[in-house]
Amino acid sequence: MPTDARHTGRSRARTHAAAGLALAVGATLLGGCSSAEGPPALTWYINPDDGGQANIAQICTDQADGAYTIETSLLPSDAGAQREQLARRLAAGDDTMDIMSLDPPFVPELAEPGYLAPVPDDVVERTTQNVVEGALTGATWKDKVVAVPFWANTQILWYRKSVAEAAGLDMTQPVTWQQLMDAAASQDKFLGVQGARAESMTVWVNALVESAGGKIVENPDAPADEIRLGLDSEAGTQAAEIVSTIGKEGLGGPGLPTQTENTSMIQFQGDQGSFMVNYPFVWPATNAAVEAGTLPAGLIEDIGWTLYPQVNEGEETAPPLGGINLGVGSESQNPDLAYQAIECIVSPENQSLYFTTNGNPPSNTEAYDAPGVSETFPMAETIRESLQLSKPRPQTPYYNEVSTGIQQTWTPPSAVNPETTPATSSEFILAVLKGEKLL
Amino acid sequence: MSTSVETQRGTAPVSKPAKPRLSDRARSERRLGLWLAGPAFVIMLAVTAYPILLAVWDSLFQYRLTAPDDRAFIGLGNYAVILTDIVFWRDLGVTLLITVITVAVELVLGFALALVMNSALKAVRGWLRTAILVPYGIITVVSAFAWFYAFDINSGYINHWFDWVPGISPDLNWFADGPTALFVIIASEIWKTTPFISLLLLAGLAQVPGELTEAAEVDGATWWQRMSRVILPNMKAAIMVAVLFRALDAFRIFDNVYIMTNGAYGTEVLSLLAYRTSISRLEIGMGSAISVLLFLCVIIICFIAIKLFKVDLTGARGGN
Amino acid sequence: MKSSPVRCRLTWTIISIVVIIYALFPVASIFATSFKIPSDLTSGTFLPNTWSFTNYEEILVGDAQGLFLSALRNSIGISLIATFIAVVLATLCAYAIARLDFPGKKLILTTALGVSIFPVISIVTPLFNLWRNIGLYDTWLGLIIPYLSLTLPISIWTLSAFFRQIPWELEQAAQVDGATTWQAFRKAIVPLAAPGVFTTAIIAFFIAWNDFVYGISLTSTDAARPVPAALAFFTGASQFEEPTGAISAAAIIVTIPVVVLVLAFQRQIVSGLTQGAVKG
Repeated sequence: MPTDARHTGRSRARTHAAAGLALAVGATLLGGCSSAEGPPALTWYINPDDGGQANIAQICTDQADGAYTIETSLLPSDAGAQREQLARRLAAGDDTMDIMSLDPPFVPELAEPGYLAPVPDDVVERTTQNVVEGALTGATWKDKVVAVPFWANTQILWYRKSVAEAAGLDMTQPVTWQQLMDAAASQDKFLGVQGARAESMTVWVNALVESAGGKIVENPDAPADEIRLGLDSEAGTQAAEIVSTIGKEGLGGPGLPTQTENTSMIQFQGDQGSFMVNYPFVWPATNAAVEAGTLPAGLIEDIGWTLYPQVNEGEETAPPLGGINLGVGSESQNPDLAYQAIECIVSPENQSLYFTTNGNPPSNTEAYDAPGVSETFPMAETIRESLQLSKPRPQTPYYNEVSTGIQQTWTPPSAVNPETTPATSSEFILAVLKGEKLL
Repeated sequence: MSTSVETQRGTAPVSKPAKPRLSDRARSERRLGLWLAGPAFVIMLAVTAYPILLAVWDSLFQYRLTAPDDRAFIGLGNYAVILTDIVFWRDLGVTLLITVITVAVELVLGFALALVMNSALKAVRGWLRTAILVPYGIITVVSAFAWFYAFDINSGYINHWFDWVPGISPDLNWFADGPTALFVIIASEIWKTTPFISLLLLAGLAQVPGELTEAAEVDGATWWQRMSRVILPNMKAAIMVAVLFRALDAFRIFDNVYIMTNGAYGTEVLSLLAYRTSISRLEIGMGSAISVLLFLCVIIICFIAIKLFKVDLTGARGGN
Repeated sequence: MKSSPVRCRLTWTIISIVVIIYALFPVASIFATSFKIPSDLTSGTFLPNTWSFTNYEEILVGDAQGLFLSALRNSIGISLIATFIAVVLATLCAYAIARLDFPGKKLILTTALGVSIFPVISIVTPLFNLWRNIGLYDTWLGLIIPYLSLTLPISIWTLSAFFRQIPWELEQAAQVDGATTWQAFRKAIVPLAAPGVFTTAIIAFFIAWNDFVYGISLTSTDAARPVPAALAFFTGASQFEEPTGAISAAAIIVTIPVVVLVLAFQRQIVSGLTQGAVKG
């Protein structure tokens, strides 16, 4: 199997080189003197990371062998701000939008008005094999693949073995939110969740609603005034109960209303840490801090991991899904080259390289088998399993309104009321979508 | 129109030429004046008047940047939505609250600083001025980060320093609640902008005739009497101008809120609402309508100040 | 204050110390933060436990180098150009207002006043749309023009006040002595006006340097993004880790020019802002 993969990979590379050459010649003939400026430079708009995307850009530039070069351009660190920048440039008809790192929930908003160049069928075929289902859903709009999955993120449940043991929890079995809340309360420790008024709140609510068998948006393809929400439901109420209990009983610690992924990790690493839902970056970050001597050496031994908690015992959990898909702007001057470059970027080798160096998990399950992955991330298997179960956030062009609406009505967690919050947040979001209310 | 202005100006004593001139010369002087002053005037108008007119026009449409085909004329529909939404009035309230508190505190603090600068010994005057000018020159965003990091529950030290104060403990999350978050936002705003108000007041202080205070002192007036009977009344114009300028500036507050809370938990101000609607949500129509309303608010404040309190902006600032 | 010189001096020392602490404390606070290593950030102490240059290394020679240095270059370039243009235009305008008789003086001053109180956010959206259409979005010029709306009004006001105080008779005297108009202007007036122009430039520079709203709204790449906007682009080792240290270090670096200018020109800035009303 690995041999096969390598073989197809190599022949693929050869075809591409040939195609690239043909294109380059064609471009020279058509564009006249443009060849004097060297190969076309593709711009890749990247979200901030630890240098991994820039590195891959270099690798693919080298492999392209003169067919193209890739330059990276940085987007803001906040997902919403990334979308703003991209949407504004795309709406302006910017022709430098060759490759874009897109957060999956914002793909429909860009696909609907036709800002994304169509993905060629053969590219779809080659880049979507072995891709986890959630990541593929996140790259799809109206049954068409509109972006290429690159890496996929998911939250897993991190726990302090000592606390789980003291609370008498068997972590080899799936655990529920109720069990975690009881354990944290009985041990007088804090649960690590993200309660800040930010995108992470929607991530949490979506995971809870999906785990309880519901959906935040029932018909994500619908136009703004016909959208139906599934928040005001049994699943929504269950989600609200969990958020509200953690908030009201202070289980999330005093920092909960401003708790982000980073601050919940800091809390988890400290004396009050118990259980935490969070992304895999926690592992390299904690190891780095231990190596720097700022956290006790024993901490690493005490950290365990398993799948995201269940809402109802025995019902499969639906962990959050994040990550990055790669899209090509419809005004790009070199869409074909851009898709070639994308195929190079998302190759399983680059995905596993990105995982081991930057901590961002591959969307391609094959990439988990690469050597070095399980050494760097002992929890790689859990991550892959979690990705298979994960559910994306609502894929709607109005995701920004839905998400911001949830953030405003579900924070602070202590103010959430299971009886009323699902209904009020539903009404609020629908009114905003109809243009009857400000957000 | 230009002729009527011209005749008015011609009779104004300030700009009256030192000696009568030939009409030829007057005409060429006028032409030169217009040529020199014109570019600045045109640029100022172009970068403000044109965009605001564009905003007025855009505000009449339902227009979302990512759905350009759905653009539709809806008249005053956006305004109706905004003015009937509690969010707008809440944000207006927060903005006014911040404005009133910052201006009130800054007036007192700025006056104290102005007094200090005015009567400091020569030896320390330079140092005091330098210190006071640092907040004036510093970038607002930097100030916001400095205050944010100091108070933040994770990276801050304020909670540890002041845990003897009732209500403050290491567990106090300043940015999780409207009042405490606003406290930090206002503190940062005050720190950054007090130097400006104190410099305006310093200018006013210097205009109080020294003989008056000396005479009052000779008559045995106490410090407080001198202050309230002589100095403050003579500074009324300067104070009014300082207050108006700062009030309008505070009303536009954006940077501090954006950095510290991004409007969470009841700290959203009008500028941020306008920003979030038009830039983040890409709802150009609705966002433009909020911008226009914000502009109207500024005009109303200005109008009230000038008509009701008779603040003479042109006289007290720039004039001598 | 009729008390003894010693007590007077003591009082002033105390007052000065209080004022200086008030004015400099937040700067000291972020200065201390900029030397903290990540784990020190949560220690809850004012000073770092170990002083480290890691954060400065990161933004000056490390990963964030491209982001920060290009932003710094943009900030310096855009602010200087905007300041220069504003001061040149304002000098011409203020000279005309103070010196020449022409219609519309009051209108210009009132317009300047109106523009200076204008809510910036109100014109950001239309400017954004306009810039997109004419290709000024995310360019230096696209920021320089709106910066003029911030720097021009105060420059015009400050300079008009300066120019009104200049004894213009000198110019006439020089002309009587046989100098041409231009010579008279250059020899007699320029030396008197230069300090005012210079002070105005510093004040205008501070204003352009401080901008945030235009910076985040009208740029989207490091082609034009200024430092205050770039601070939001810093990131830790991963996208989820907070870049507190890097932001603090960058904040300190962009504060250095401010402190240098203030140290060198405090007297001129104060008199500039108080329209020359304060004596040495």
